[in-house]
Amino acid sequence: MKCEWVRQNILLYVYEEIADDARYELEQHVARCAECARELEQVREFHAAMKALPVQEPTTNLLAASRMRLQESLEGTRQNGFWQNLVLEPAVWLRQIRFAPALAAAIFIAGFAGGVGTAYKVVAGNSRPVSNVTEISAPVTKSTISGIRSISQQPGSNQISIQYDTVSAQEAQGSLSDQRIQQLLLFAVRNTYKTDVRMDSVDLLAQKPEDANIREALMYALCYDATSQVRLKALGALKPYVKSDIRVRNVMLEALLNDTDPGIRTEALHSVQPVRADTSVRTVLNRLAQKDDSEDIRSQARTELALVPQID
Amino acid sequence: MSWASASFPVKCISSRIDDTVRVRGVQAGNGAAFEDLVRQYDQAVLRLAMHFTGSETEAQDIYQEAFLKAYRNIGGFRFECSFYTWIYRIVVNLCLDHLRKRRVRKEDAPVAVDEEGKTFDVLEQVPDGRAAADPERDLMNRELSSRIRRAIDHLSPRERMVFELKHYHGLKLRTVGEILHTTEETAKNTLFRATQKLRGSLADMR
Repeated sequence: MKCEWVRQNILLYVYEEIADDARYELEQHVARCAECARELEQVREFHAAMKALPVQEPTTNLLAASRMRLQESLEGTRQNGFWQNLVLEPAVWLRQIRFAPALAAAIFIAGFAGGVGTAYKVVAGNSRPVSNVTEISAPVTKSTISGIRSISQQPGSNQISIQYDTVSAQEAQGSLSDQRIQQLLLFAVRNTYKTDVRMDSVDLLAQKPEDANIREALMYALCYDATSQVRLKALGALKPYVKSDIRVRNVMLEALLNDTDPGIRTEALHSVQPVRADTSVRTVLNRLAQKDDSEDIRSQARTELALVPQID
Repeated sequence: MSWASASFPVKCISSRIDDTVRVRGVQAGNGAAFEDLVRQYDQAVLRLAMHFTGSETEAQDIYQEAFLKAYRNIGGFRFECSFYTWIYRIVVNLCLDHLRKRRVRKEDAPVAVDEEGKTFDVLEQVPDGRAAADPERDLMNRELSSRIRRAIDHLSPRERMVFELKHYHGLKLRTVGEILHTTEETAKNTLFRATQKLRGSLADMR
């Protein structure tokens, strides 16, 4: 019976969760059936009644207070995981695993040679690229254990599998199309304090912005790198994608508004010229024309706005 | 860090940077990236916590716990879901935890008496920012809203959360399902049950 189907779907209809074709059928039916129309009316009333408990927007004060409290808590936290305390202390973590002493001999270790070598200082280690090659190595006496990734035991057996990272000086050679080289460069952009190393990485990655992962790393560099030269380099590489990739455009707009270096803001301004007619770009240009610290940039923004074709 | 006191964020612009860029930034130890993530989501987090718990103080606690939890665990985030879903899951679970704790406390819940001599549960009060321009209408609204609160109280925590997310925050049932680690179909059925119960309760109270 059609009414039954309609009754089951009225709620979805009111909550706008109903499929388009089903919506049409329901509306058609309700126009002809008084009972179902009544039910619809009641559900709508219920829906409206529940609004007597309105959702309130957090006040500015509440938000600011919450943020400040969070900031204080964060300043007291170090984002250092479990692993940092276990360096060079295998005895400690062995004791923590509950297994019979006899199993000690049966530990099967798959080792990864991770880390980017002692030439680079590694920051928070949570996002290291995992090499897919697992080598069953001999006792790792020459390397330092830098972290334990995971420990698992096969149920019903005495086999334990432990994944750990070691830091050992390594060198990789290859061209930019080499996956391993790319991975290391992407890692370097985000994970090293050494400015010259980051600069070198961005320099190389800038040669291959057609790759989406590389573009993402370049966007990261433009947003977050502490050194303006690096950000500028990334910007230059991303420029040709402003029109085709909306994420690039948005990152460019963000740089335009928030980058502390006026040279970069100027470059970003030039880079959005091909899309100056876009609404979001015009909004930003307007803001820039009024609020930017640099008179030069304000006037450039005004010039750009003047060049925007008047659509309305 | 002066971001906490910065002028109200231009969130419409900065929201466009992919969450992926920000999350990877945080994973690499970049504090500014985390600040961006917080600014992106914190209003929604507070809004949800405030409405669900009905208490500003509890909402603030949930806010702290949620973002600290996110900060501590973001290293293990593997992009199997969106960051949006992930942060909502954290907040939803914290809200449900608080609800559970509150139900245990309710036996000795403080009760107060208002100007008309009626008792009301202190824990239920949320400061109403709206000015009382029409006292009679305001009274009716308050009665209705306390009836609704009581009706919602009779829902199971899950039903309550599904209803909250769908009705008050407009999330799609599919998203609600993802957040609660279940299917859209289950979320749909939970919504049905919740609305049946609510309609029943409200009808009884008339």
